[in-house]
Amino acid sequence: MLQRSTFCLAAFVMSALAMPAASQSGKETVEADVSSRSVAITSDFTGTEILIFGTVENSRQSSAEAGTYDVVVAVEGTQVPQNVRRKSNFAGLGLWINTREIRFASFPSYYAIASTRPIEEIADRATLDKLEIGFAHVRLVPSGSGTRFAPAGVKEASEFRNAAIRLKQRDRLYVTKDQGVAFIGRSLFRATISLPPNVPVGPLTTRVYLFREGQILSQYKSEVTLERAGLERFLYDSANKRPVLYGISTVLLAAAAGLAAAFTFRRPGH
Amino acid sequence: MHVYLPIAEMSVNIFVYLGLGAAIGFLSGLFGVGGGFLLTPLLIFLGIPPVVAVGTGTANVVATSVSGAVAQYRRNNVDVKMGVVMLAGGLIGSSIGVESVRLLRKAGLFELVISLSYVTFLGVIGALMMVESLSTYRKASAGIAVSSRKPGQHSWVDGLPFKMRFHRSKLYISAIPPAMIGMFVGFMAAVMGIGGGFVIIPAMIYLLRMSTSVVIGTSLFQIVFVAAFTTILHSVQNKSVDVVLAALLMIGGVVGAQFGTVSGQRLKGEQLRLLLAGLILIVCIRLAFDLVSAPDELFSFGTVSGAK
Repeated sequence: MLQRSTFCLAAFVMSALAMPAASQSGKETVEADVSSRSVAITSDFTGTEILIFGTVENSRQSSAEAGTYDVVVAVEGTQVPQNVRRKSNFAGLGLWINTREIRFASFPSYYAIASTRPIEEIADRATLDKLEIGFAHVRLVPSGSGTRFAPAGVKEASEFRNAAIRLKQRDRLYVTKDQGVAFIGRSLFRATISLPPNVPVGPLTTRVYLFREGQILSQYKSEVTLERAGLERFLYDSANKRPVLYGISTVLLAAAAGLAAAFTFRRPGH
Repeated sequence: MHVYLPIAEMSVNIFVYLGLGAAIGFLSGLFGVGGGFLLTPLLIFLGIPPVVAVGTGTANVVATSVSGAVAQYRRNNVDVKMGVVMLAGGLIGSSIGVESVRLLRKAGLFELVISLSYVTFLGVIGALMMVESLSTYRKASAGIAVSSRKPGQHSWVDGLPFKMRFHRSKLYISAIPPAMIGMFVGFMAAVMGIGGGFVIIPAMIYLLRMSTSVVIGTSLFQIVFVAAFTTILHSVQNKSVDVVLAALLMIGGVVGAQFGTVSGQRLKGEQLRLLLAGLILIVCIRLAFDLVSAPDELFSFGTVSGAK
């Protein structure tokens, strides 16, 4: 902790010294907000879009097209444990079954990145790693050794990690928009992130990063709640908090539906 | 038009699931089976998580079988005493089954067990029924009198204790075989999300030698209660019953079931069995194909035990 803050302080001092221009007109910082701080999942939820907009304070950009600054917007879902399984040809019998299972103790359920241009062009790998931006850099923590879900080695860990990211991309839960952030003026920018219908429920963390020439200048962080509401919430809560009542109600509903049909369709002679 | 499913956690097209419910309901009424043996795999093919497909499948079985059971009861096709004996076994089997689902999920083996059980049971029963009904069909067309009951014949079933008289079925047999059949089917209901009609009907015909006319009504009668019990257990143990999905399937299902029951009366017993056998084999082949064909993607997400 002490080491890290010392490092940050040193980095700050160095950057301040390296940029005398910045000290004259003030350091550039980013301020941003999200169009809706809370997203409700109701029965008619078919996905939604959230708008992230912000401004660069003390912008020295001459126009929206100047490209002096790069902005990266990352929206990350809740960190959840996630198992990833691999099928293999079981005992050469031609049966494809899951034979290996790895658990990631911590895995973002959703991850969207919008940026002014591809993130690899914005900053180098070390910077992206440090800031944990991008699928290749995001934190996927394998479970500890000693359990049967622990990866056997670095090779297996990375194989499962790549597969997990690929599966998430296939489900459109990990998305990138290389030109997803646009400057509207000298300092104003906006980005839209679409949340698909299958977006996992849970709070979303929105981070906005401001770069210039590969250097991080400023960051902004905000939370978006993503919750069930209305009937959706009532049903989900019932199923989890009052499962016996929920089960009995479901059965009664089913029986009523069946009986209603049987009597509605009753014909003379039967 | 889309609706968000609270337990499956996905947005689905209403009409796809209403249509699926109607098709399954029609088959349910036609053959006197819950239709779950088709519903569960189809739900999985449509992307519903397997454990939710199983849990919700049992809820749907309640609706379609109530509907069918009432129709059969009105025609006096239900042997209530036989049904109650089977039910007693069924409740025990279901409890064991629901607990097995929980343990299998924890071990990460649930999907494999589901596929293998479907392929095995559908394959064996489909093939047996196909062979039997084909030979009956041939004999019938050749003008030879056919009776599914062979009163002079004795088997191990007749040697068991706890004999009971089942008036409606005109049988005097031990209560053990029906209770065992009920228990086995209750277990399958819980693990596979089915009513078990495709197991219970042949078992009642060939093991208990009940006549085809009371078999469908009696099996539906006991399926209603076993499925109801299993639905509640799945809700409590696995939190895997999606009431919105179930409602969609039911609405389609109960309507379809009525048309199925009427259509079923126009067909002969052996024709019905032949059709059902064909259907069972098709689903079996499809599942077996999925199990043996090299998948495009070797990796998949698994459930974290304890969490959904």
